[in-house]
Order: sequence, then structure tokens, then C-alpha cells
Amino acid sequence: MTAVLDETPVATHGTGRRSSWSAALALALFEARRLLLSLPVLLAFAVYVAWIVWQTPDFEDGYPALQDADRAGQSTLLLVGLAVLVCVNQAVLRAKRRDTERHFAVLVLPGPWRTGAHALSLVPVVVLTAVCTLAQFGWSALRSGAVGSGSPGELLVGPLTVLLFGALGVLLARLVASPIAAPLITVVLILMFFVAGGFPAGDGERGLRWLTPVVTEASSQTLPASLLDRPAAWHALYLAGLALTLALLAVLAGGGRGWMLTAATAGAVALAVTGGVLQCAPVGADTRAARERASVSPEKLQTCVRHGSSTYCAFPDWTARTDSWADVVHDVQSSAGGTARTQPLLVRQRIDARYGLTADAAIEPSSTPHQVTVGTAWGGNRVPEFSAAVAAVLVAGDEKAAGSLCDGRMVTVMWLALNRLPHPMTSLRNVRLDDSVTGSAIVLSPTNPMSMTAGQTDVVRELLGRPAGEITPRVRAHWAELTAPKVTTAHVAELLGVAAPKAADKCE
Amino acid sequence: MRVSGQVRVGGQVRVGGQVRVARELLLPAGRALPWRSPAAGAGLGLLILAVPRLTDTEPAPWLALVLLRCAILAHAVGLAFLMDDPARHTTATVPTRRALRTAVRLALITPVTALWWTAALLLVPSHIRPPTGDLTLEAAAVCVLALAAGAAAVRLTDAPAPGVSVAAALLFTAVVAPLLLPDQWALFVPPGDQRWGVAHERWAGVLAGAVVLWGICLPEPLRRGPGALRLRSPCGTSDPSRT
Repeated sequence: MTAVLDETPVATHGTGRRSSWSAALALALFEARRLLLSLPVLLAFAVYVAWIVWQTPDFEDGYPALQDADRAGQSTLLLVGLAVLVCVNQAVLRAKRRDTERHFAVLVLPGPWRTGAHALSLVPVVVLTAVCTLAQFGWSALRSGAVGSGSPGELLVGPLTVLLFGALGVLLARLVASPIAAPLITVVLILMFFVAGGFPAGDGERGLRWLTPVVTEASSQTLPASLLDRPAAWHALYLAGLALTLALLAVLAGGGRGWMLTAATAGAVALAVTGGVLQCAPVGADTRAARERASVSPEKLQTCVRHGSSTYCAFPDWTARTDSWADVVHDVQSSAGGTARTQPLLVRQRIDARYGLTADAAIEPSSTPHQVTVGTAWGGNRVPEFSAAVAAVLVAGDEKAAGSLCDGRMVTVMWLALNRLPHPMTSLRNVRLDDSVTGSAIVLSPTNPMSMTAGQTDVVRELLGRPAGEITPRVRAHWAELTAPKVTTAHVAELLGVAAPKAADKCE
Repeated sequence: MRVSGQVRVGGQVRVGGQVRVARELLLPAGRALPWRSPAAGAGLGLLILAVPRLTDTEPAPWLALVLLRCAILAHAVGLAFLMDDPARHTTATVPTRRALRTAVRLALITPVTALWWTAALLLVPSHIRPPTGDLTLEAAAVCVLALAAGAAAVRLTDAPAPGVSVAAALLFTAVVAPLLLPDQWALFVPPGDQRWGVAHERWAGVLAGAVVLWGICLPEPLRRGPGALRLRSPCGTSDPSRT
């Protein structure tokens, strides 16, 4: 058969550089598709997405602070990073493994360009990571209970970590043409995460620990975004500079030469060094002063809102949450009797930010009468804890006195705190440190814990089992006796019409 | 009767022949074994354990355990490459079975691994060393799992050198398992934990499972499904003529 050309073919070769660019882009697209469809990367993304779906609805009990939500997924993304590292490394080594290097040698794309194309093939996987990160953050941000603000720097850390690991994989393939290098480097990286996780605050707040891609904190408390002072933007710059440096070094190691490449590498190194040095600088004096101020005299920073007769003072990020606090206070007061029903309370949000995020510090109970402390977290167990604190202040007068309650008043406190909650028995279990509903236990509150004896627990359990309509009138009728100091648990049980415990009150 | 007698005699001949073949294979297999990968893995493992010694810092007992587990992982990653057989397409039809050839490889690597493990244990000071027997069980389970995964990859796929994929799978499991294993199946428990004994019964189960998997994956498959192994010489001369 003879083929006849209708038209004379036109020579289409453009300049060498332009064809290199388009060929590199074509190779990058092809490699990106293969990378995204490789089994480890798919599995890692499956685990990451499953983690998002599993964790995000319950993140911080459904009342997320966005300054925590923005870095919540960073550690999980290390898995995606490791998968990308191994896969991109294998992709670069594929030509050697399949013995096709010499075929590539006669094609339009020289070695350095192919290395560059492999580095470019990381872009889609990084973009996908960014989309997942944004989805997770957006999900938290759209929840009705969300407060605070996220940091773009923290959101960038996850995708940039994946880029960094990918660039390391490309560089590794160009330095060591052996398929075992990437898995072994992965072992070293896993070890580093473990060891870094073991000393989360080894160097205090800043320092060399910021040189690791993902910096986790020892403390789980939520602080106002302005007091966090994590150098997220500098860290993102450091990661971007480092990833760029590794990718350009890979191109250099692949045979790339020229002043532009050298200059770009120098620029990337400069970026990495700038970010690296600035992020490790110690926490500034102004941040320390702001933290001290927020811990010692929060009233200077807070906005106060009135709901009913009580006042609610919160840090600016949390003013929207005062409604939820007011609902709990209203519920507790409506079950109480005497003057406690109308007693104006001051609910003040308090934190101890003096140690930053390096440690969780307990908040000292306030000795101001009728002042209740509330923390920065809400939802879940925080609700019965706050409820218990409100009830204890109504009964004992102030938080300091509530901490040493050791008589029958504890029964009144716990009944007031729990009877209007949706699931009183579950709340009783949750608010006690050992998650029990029998025996003596510590009761948690936003400040110092309280303690319940076994007898008080029995009476409270019995009371919570009865309908509220039966108990509430008795509480109101005997309010003065129920809240009198030194009243015995047996007497309280008798007044409220339930069986008295056999053992006498004995605080541990 | 005669038939079974012949088979028995034939079986004896075959066993004797296999022992002889194995003996003769030992030296060439030793030369052809991909030594570099296990050596790199073992070297990294020893390096991980040697760093605290070299820097003269004594790790806490939990850290010593983490270091030992990472060293085991490094060695297992090296072992994942051991089942690589670039010549598998040409040796699939030779009379010496794959099981025998693999056994020869195992006979070569086992003493080396035992030596390596002894050295690894000796690198950890004795007073912070976790219980040796239990940790040896962990090491054996992970190493056999790596070999079994390698054998499974050779048996189930067409790839002559699936080591990288096996290593990737092993690493993925090593990262994900401690995070996702529910508490009642916990394997990676710290020393002094009350679940240590139960966890090591599970490790024994992992070892047994890995041995069984390896046993199943040892023989060369008789038949391959469509799309699997197709014997073809690289230059294409074994294909039907295209005239």
C-alpha cells in the first residue's frame, strides 16, 4: 500500500527551548497522573480523607476554634508526604529500572528537563492536598459553634510538607540510583517523627524544633489566636524555600547547568534560610506581655454582654458563645430556690496563657463572690463541667469555697448542675474524672475540681432517676436548709425524699 | 502397587537430588543474591542504634524500644528486596523448583540476619533493653512478613523485581498499623505495659500467619490468568511472525 500526502508537510520545529518546555509539561502531566493513581498515594489519600470525615465532625466536641482547626490535619498529611516521596522516587528511577534511559537520550528532552518535569509532576498532588486541607478547615469553619480565626500559614504547611517530601524523593533518585534509598529514608523520617513526638517541647516554644516540617504542641488548650504566636508564615516560607531548594538541587544533580539555575537555587536557599532563622527566633516580649495580661487581668481585653440578670465576659473571639453559656446558667438558676434564682452572676472567660502552648496550666479558682469561670473550649464534657461550676457558685458563694465543699451541699450542687441537661446520667458519668456513676470520685470543673463521696453519689443518682417535677418543688421549699454549711448528706436525702446513705460524709 | 513403589523410589531420588542441587546452588545463589539491599537496610538499622552510643547519650527505655523497632523496620525493608528475581521469566521452566531456590536464599540470609540481630541487641545497653525474647519474636515476625510479602508479590504479579512495592507496602503498614489498630488488637505496646504479654501472643500469631502465607506463595504458579506472565524474549523473536 502506498500512502499519498495531500499536502506537503510544513516543518514545525520551533526553537529548542520552546519545544523543551512543552515536552517537559507533557511529561509532567503524564507523571502527575501516574503519581496520583499510584497505589500508595491513593491509599494515603484514602486514609487522610477517612480521617477528615471521622475527625472533623467531633473536632473539639463540635465547637471548633479555628486557630486549632487550621493545623489539625498536618500530622496526618505526613503519611501522604511519605507515600509521595516513595512513589515519585520510583517514577524518576523507572527509566533506569526498565532500561529505557538510552531511548530517552535521543528524545527532545534532556536529562535536567526530565528531572524538572518530575518535580513539576508534584504540583497536582500538592494542589489536591491543599483542596483536602481547605475542605477540612472549611467544614470546621462552617459549623455553627466555630469561633476564632485560622492562619493561612498553618493551612499552607500541609501541602508544602507534601511538596517538600516529593522534592526530597526526586533529589534522592538523582543522587542514589537505587530503589532502596527512598524506603530507607522513609524509615529515618518515621523515626524522626517518633523521636520528635517524644520531645514535643524539648526546646521550649521556638528553637530548632521548628526545623521539622510539622510542629506539634504539647498543650491541648485553646488560646486566642493573637496569643498563639506560632511563626506559621515564616515556617511556610521555610518549607517552600526548602522544597524549592531540593527540587532545584535535583535538577542540578540531573545535569542541569546555567547561571539562571544557579541563581534560582541560591534564591531558594536564601528563602529557606530566611524562613528558618526567623521562625526559630525566641517568642517576642510583646507576646509574653500580652499573654501575661490575658492570664492575669483578662477584664482589660474582654467584651461583656448581658443576658438576663447576669453578665458574660469573653475574649473577642468568643463573644458569640455567650448565648450558650447563658442557656446553661438559666437552666441551673431555674431549678434553684431562694435568692439563688435571681442572683446576678458574672461569668468570666479565663485562660492561663503564660506558658504558651508548651504546657497545660490549671486555672486558679476565683475568690470573687458570684463569679464563675468558663474556659475556651465548649461542647461535650465542658458543658456539665461549667454547669457544675455555676451550681457550686450559687450554693457555696464563690469558686474557692466551692472547691472545698465536703458536706450534703454537694448533692444539691450536682442535682442543680445535671437535672436540666439532656442526658443527666451520661453527664454525671462524663463530669466525673473516672467516668463512674458509683463510689466516690473527683468532679471536674473549669477551675479546681470538687469531690463527691460514695453516699452523695448514691443520692444524686437516685435524684436524677426521679422526674424533675417531683424534686424541684422540694429543692425550692428547703433551699435554705439544703445550702446551709455542714448539712449532712443523710439530712439532704431526707429533705428531698430519697433513701439516706448508710455511710457518713467523709471527704478524701 | 508397582506404581506407588515407583513413586516412592522416585520421591527418594528426587529428595536426594534436591539436596544435591541445593548444595550446588548455594555458591551461585550467594553470588547472585541482591545483597546490597539487605546490607543497606541492616546497615541503617545498626546506624540507628549506634547513634545514641556514638553521641554518648543514653536513651530512655521507651526510646530504646522505638529505636529497636525502627532498626527492625529498616532491616525488613532491606529483606523486602530479597525475593527480587530479575531472571524469573527465564527460570520459570527450569526443573529446580522456585521453592528450593527460595529455600537456598533463606539459608543464606538467615545466619546473616541472626548475626545482625545479635549485634543490634548488643548495641542497646542491657539495663534499658526491652525483653529480648519478645523483641526477637517481633523482629522475626516483621522479617518473615517482609519475605512473605515479597514471595506473594512474585507469585501474584508478573514483576521480576517487586521489591520496591513490597517495601512501600511494608512501610505503609508500619505507619498506619500503630495509628489504626484498635486497642484490643494492639501490637506496638511500650515496655512495662500490662498488655505486653497479650500483644506478644498476637505477634506470635503474626509470625505464624506470615510463615503460612510464605509457604503458600513459594511454588511457581502452574497457570497464570490472562494478562499475567507471558514469556516473551525482550527482542520479540518468540512472538508469532507478523508477515
